[in-house]
Amino acid sequence: MSEEKEYAKPLPEFRPETKPYWEACKRHEFVLPRSKVTNEFFFYPRALSPGEDMSEDIEWAKASGKGKVWTFAIHHMGPTKAYKGEPPYVVALVEMEEGVKMMTNIVECDPKDVYIGMDVEVLFDDVTPDVTLPKFKPVKK
Amino acid sequence: MADAIPSMEDAREALKKHKIVIAGVGETEQGKIPNKSSFHFLSEASKIAIQDAGINKSDVDGLITAFSLVEHTFMHCTTFADYFGFRPKFFSSVAIGGATAVWMVAEAAMAIASGQADVVLCVRGDNTLSGISSSGMMALIREMCHAEFEFPYGLTTPGGYALAAQRYLHDYSAKQEHLAAVAVTMRKHAGMKENAMNKEPLTVEDVINSRIIAEPLHKYDCSIISDGGAAFIVTTEDKAKELGIQKPLVYLWGMGQGYSHQYLTTLKDLNQIYSAIERSGQRAFQTAGVEPKDVDIAFLYDCFTITVLLELEGLGFVPKGEGGPFALEGRMEIGKDLPVNTHGGLLSQAHLGAMHHVVEATTQLRGEAGPRQVEDAEVALVHGNGGIVSAHSTVLLGKEPLS
Repeated sequence: MSEEKEYAKPLPEFRPETKPYWEACKRHEFVLPRSKVTNEFFFYPRALSPGEDMSEDIEWAKASGKGKVWTFAIHHMGPTKAYKGEPPYVVALVEMEEGVKMMTNIVECDPKDVYIGMDVEVLFDDVTPDVTLPKFKPVKK
Repeated sequence: MADAIPSMEDAREALKKHKIVIAGVGETEQGKIPNKSSFHFLSEASKIAIQDAGINKSDVDGLITAFSLVEHTFMHCTTFADYFGFRPKFFSSVAIGGATAVWMVAEAAMAIASGQADVVLCVRGDNTLSGISSSGMMALIREMCHAEFEFPYGLTTPGGYALAAQRYLHDYSAKQEHLAAVAVTMRKHAGMKENAMNKEPLTVEDVINSRIIAEPLHKYDCSIISDGGAAFIVTTEDKAKELGIQKPLVYLWGMGQGYSHQYLTTLKDLNQIYSAIERSGQRAFQTAGVEPKDVDIAFLYDCFTITVLLELEGLGFVPKGEGGPFALEGRMEIGKDLPVNTHGGLLSQAHLGAMHHVVEATTQLRGEAGPRQVEDAEVALVHGNGGIVSAHSTVLLGKEPLS
């Protein structure tokens, strides 16, 4: 363990149906839920497919981890005290190659350089021993 | 997926038959009022609305409340009924965020039309400003966004709207000035209302130069936080006459809802938001038998400047992408094309969801808005938006009965 102070930002609380996603993240594997009936990806993970099929037959498919920034907001203030004094950070909605969107942070680049349509790829941020958050960085040209 | 809107004939016939009216309104002092509780504001606003209608407390037999951001209760409506000391025949708590106040009118109408009550008190009040810190407000997003898949990335409430705003600016080549113009008009209107929190004139430059909260939104693109209460009384024309109500009655002409998403993660594109706003508006318009061009005065949900542009466009007042220039040309001001939020809205007057939007719409149609009075105002539209432009509700109100 490093000497860094404890991670105080909000953490996800896992539900039974989302646990496989977070476990994969911890292994630095990027997976997305897909209905085995329709073969359609969906996000966020749910116990039943949100499609017309309402299927409980869900598989965790290995995903590309690549996508494009659909929109973003440079946050100059965070939602909790833990963000106090932090430099501006980017919250974005990324449209994955698989068609679904996910909310994330765009990291490893100046917030001013982020743009809609920017190609990004997943990286894994082990924020605590139990939680790994998938984040995105620009794809190097 | 825009599904067909079914015929609104049944709804129209029901409203024509029952002649649902708003017969009383009340608003307490708005601003920073640290010595009053949430339930104090609810009670005070109810009392003012009952007195405005000129009826007795015992004449009220229905109650619709919302929720409190400060005093969380499991059963809000009955908790307030107990505090206020009355036993309504019909009671309900509406909890659809900013879409709540507008839907209170509709829910009261449905309760009356189905024989559950005759006189429904709709009330909301909260000591939001004094009762929760600004950091508490920033964290309110946790209640709206996905706690597991969105909140851990540090999303704030303004940040959620900034995500929508950024995409809007991109899709329609709109500019910061277009958003800012909305705040400027709201401030101008608040300056004409006595019971408004922020009245200092504001310029487009002031908005753009104000502190950045979540790019592209600045401080003055964000609504204010305030303490206060507001209420209105919904009944029928017949019952109002029976009770001897002297105040001019304001008639319900139509109502509708539209839902897009709860979490931005599942939003397909901006058209999904427009469709939800349009569906909400179209249900109200078709029931009323009027079109956007027939509306004299509009009350749009202005929790952030971006929502006003989306609603102007989604409701059909201007084509998509043209809300910004419309705002920048001052066409939402009193005396211009379509006066919007003549009381100053959430951006400048007070923040109690759309309660004040309903109260001001009633005041305008009564012809009692004083220096803010819109000449010949006969038809008003009120639109609420809950979540992050996710849940929508619309009502159309008229000075005369629906014919």
